[in-house]
Amino acid sequence: MSTATDALQTRAEILKLARMLERDPAELAYLEPVSLADLCALRDHVTDVLFNANSSTLNRLATASKLLPAGLTATISERAFGPLLSARMAGRLEPEAAVSVASKLPTPFLADLAVELHPRRASAVISLIAPAQIAAITGELARRGEHVTMGRFVGHMGDPAMAAALGAMDNTTLLRVAFVLEDKDRLDHMIGLLQQPRLTSLVATAGQEGLWLEALDLLGHVSPERRRQLVANPLALDQAAVEAIVATVVKHELWPEVQVLAEHDAALRNRLASVHGT
Amino acid sequence: MGGAKPAEEAFETLRAQLGGELPEGLRKLDREQLVHLDAAVREARHRQAQALAAAGDRALSHVPRLLRGPIRRITG
Repeated sequence: MSTATDALQTRAEILKLARMLERDPAELAYLEPVSLADLCALRDHVTDVLFNANSSTLNRLATASKLLPAGLTATISERAFGPLLSARMAGRLEPEAAVSVASKLPTPFLADLAVELHPRRASAVISLIAPAQIAAITGELARRGEHVTMGRFVGHMGDPAMAAALGAMDNTTLLRVAFVLEDKDRLDHMIGLLQQPRLTSLVATAGQEGLWLEALDLLGHVSPERRRQLVANPLALDQAAVEAIVATVVKHELWPEVQVLAEHDAALRNRLASVHGT
Repeated sequence: MGGAKPAEEAFETLRAQLGGELPEGLRKLDREQLVHLDAAVREARHRQAQALAAAGDRALSHVPRLLRGPIRRITG
């Protein structure tokens, strides 16, 4: 990945940290010179501190919830605890009990909770949530433009849930989520769950929506086979698209990522050669 | 803006708050920035503790009276 793309990922990481600390991301702009790896490590440490704080109280509440039916626990979660504390509690409940409570909560509340939840702390719960409910929550998060939140979760889902989540995203959302995906090692597998027509439509969407950075980043993180599936046909890019791609490649140093597009479009190939030669 | 030593102290204060874990790359930050980050973490912890205390009281009002005693015994 280029250093320029790293800078964009860094901003996403600062956004996640700012959310956790309930701060405006602009307040934490001084973290931009810190490396992406160090920022991820910092967020992990802050996550641990906040999730371990008040541990005994949260554990006692989780124990007490065993005395209550799931419906009442859901009511208490929504009306008394709210999304932040419910997110802190989620990983402390028995996963089956947590899923039972979640099944009784409204989708907007679960979307609020998802924003606050740290997937690593509730991985077992996430993996048990029914694909239909995952699709509903994903649809709500997509409507809110919560790409970073969705990007944190996808890696913790099984294939049926992941496929349901992908089905609830339009191509624009999918490209943006893929760009900020927390576990990029799963990107190839995730994209592999899409049918061929949708795979090829992603590049078309990138052109229509001006999402070439997201598309090039995606191409840079998938296997050669998946790249061939994503760019399976001649592209016939118009002049504006060629210029937009070249500008993105030059600005973010994405020369290896653009190769597969260049192989499928002569105009792009020629334009890149002229830029690279200057 | 502090010198090298105060920045080192602020780094150590933040590291202690984070349970002794802090990436070395954060030494790039100056004292003021480290103090800001430390305050942000501390305040988030404080807000969480306050929210939890208030939520515990609210939660009991939703619990049937019969179960409030057993719940109180567990939650302390």
